[in-house]
Amino acid sequence: MNMNKWYMLPLLSIFLVSGCAINEEIYYWGEYEQLIHDAYINPGSADPATQIEKLNADIQKTEAMGKRVAPGIYAHLGFLYAIEGKDSQSKSAFKQEQALYPESTAFIEGMLNRAMQHKENQL
Amino acid sequence: MSSSIRMCFLFLPFIIFFFSGCATTPYNYTAFEQSKPRSIVVIPPNNNSIEVNAPYIYLSTLTRPLAEKGYYVFPVSVIDHFLKENGLPTPAEMNGIPLDKIGEHIGADAVLYISIEDWGQKFQVIQSVAKVHATLRLVDVKTGELLWESTAIAQESSGGGGGLIGALVSTVVTQVVASTIADPTPNLARRANNLAINNQVRGMLDGPYKQSTEKK
Repeated sequence: MNMNKWYMLPLLSIFLVSGCAINEEIYYWGEYEQLIHDAYINPGSADPATQIEKLNADIQKTEAMGKRVAPGIYAHLGFLYAIEGKDSQSKSAFKQEQALYPESTAFIEGMLNRAMQHKENQL
Repeated sequence: MSSSIRMCFLFLPFIIFFFSGCATTPYNYTAFEQSKPRSIVVIPPNNNSIEVNAPYIYLSTLTRPLAEKGYYVFPVSVIDHFLKENGLPTPAEMNGIPLDKIGEHIGADAVLYISIEDWGQKFQVIQSVAKVHATLRLVDVKTGELLWESTAIAQESSGGGGGLIGALVSTVVTQVVASTIADPTPNLARRANNLAINNQVRGMLDGPYKQSTEKK
């Protein structure tokens, strides 16, 4: 039984050393990845309205922490609003993504332009 | 028990730890350093496993480690829908898009191509083994050059041990657990991604958002 104690010491020290190496994450992730998973694998549990609600709650938590909203979250939200037919909320979420991450400009502007053309064609 | 044997046990984990770090050869980052990508688009993975859900389970685990590494990661699910609406219904077809189209319509600096080699839980006689195995290739959108490649792999077995009686009992327990409690593959995939992306010797280089927060 004495053996067990001898095993614990090096394991504990590895644990402590590796613990020091962990950096604080840049972003707060909340439900984003779980929602993506559920929307594909178990769609009934993550319809657009549920996703919108959870992502907005995560955005509030992120802001309360003083962190930047993680890449993709506003764009995903904009896409969900578009599915729900909420055009102005969709556009403003997409614009938020673009403002936070200029890397997304070509993709977001492409989507917004196509959405506008689609509207004009319907008139 | 003699003290020298005790010392052996004491240092065994250190020795394993040490050698596992040294076993890989240094990675050539020349192309990666020249390219300096800011943004990554993850193309839904190609599937060579028999688990049909593997590509989208895996896709849902990649944003976080890549973004935490400092890159802008395009919204994976929005990209997937965008590609589907543009005549590419399956990951197999999405993996064949020409790079100039990705540059023009998505504007990404780099593409992450993924191939899933093995995925899922296998029930063996006395234990169950869950496995996740995928290859990752990061390619520069403008030049088509390979910037980085790695294998994300993790495995977990449950059950076994405890003699024959223990084995009999644990088989039943694992199967019950597997059918009622969550799929272990998302967390295994996260572990595999972390090992591949944040590897000290041949992981990915830090992206721009990682550096800017460190300066603060």
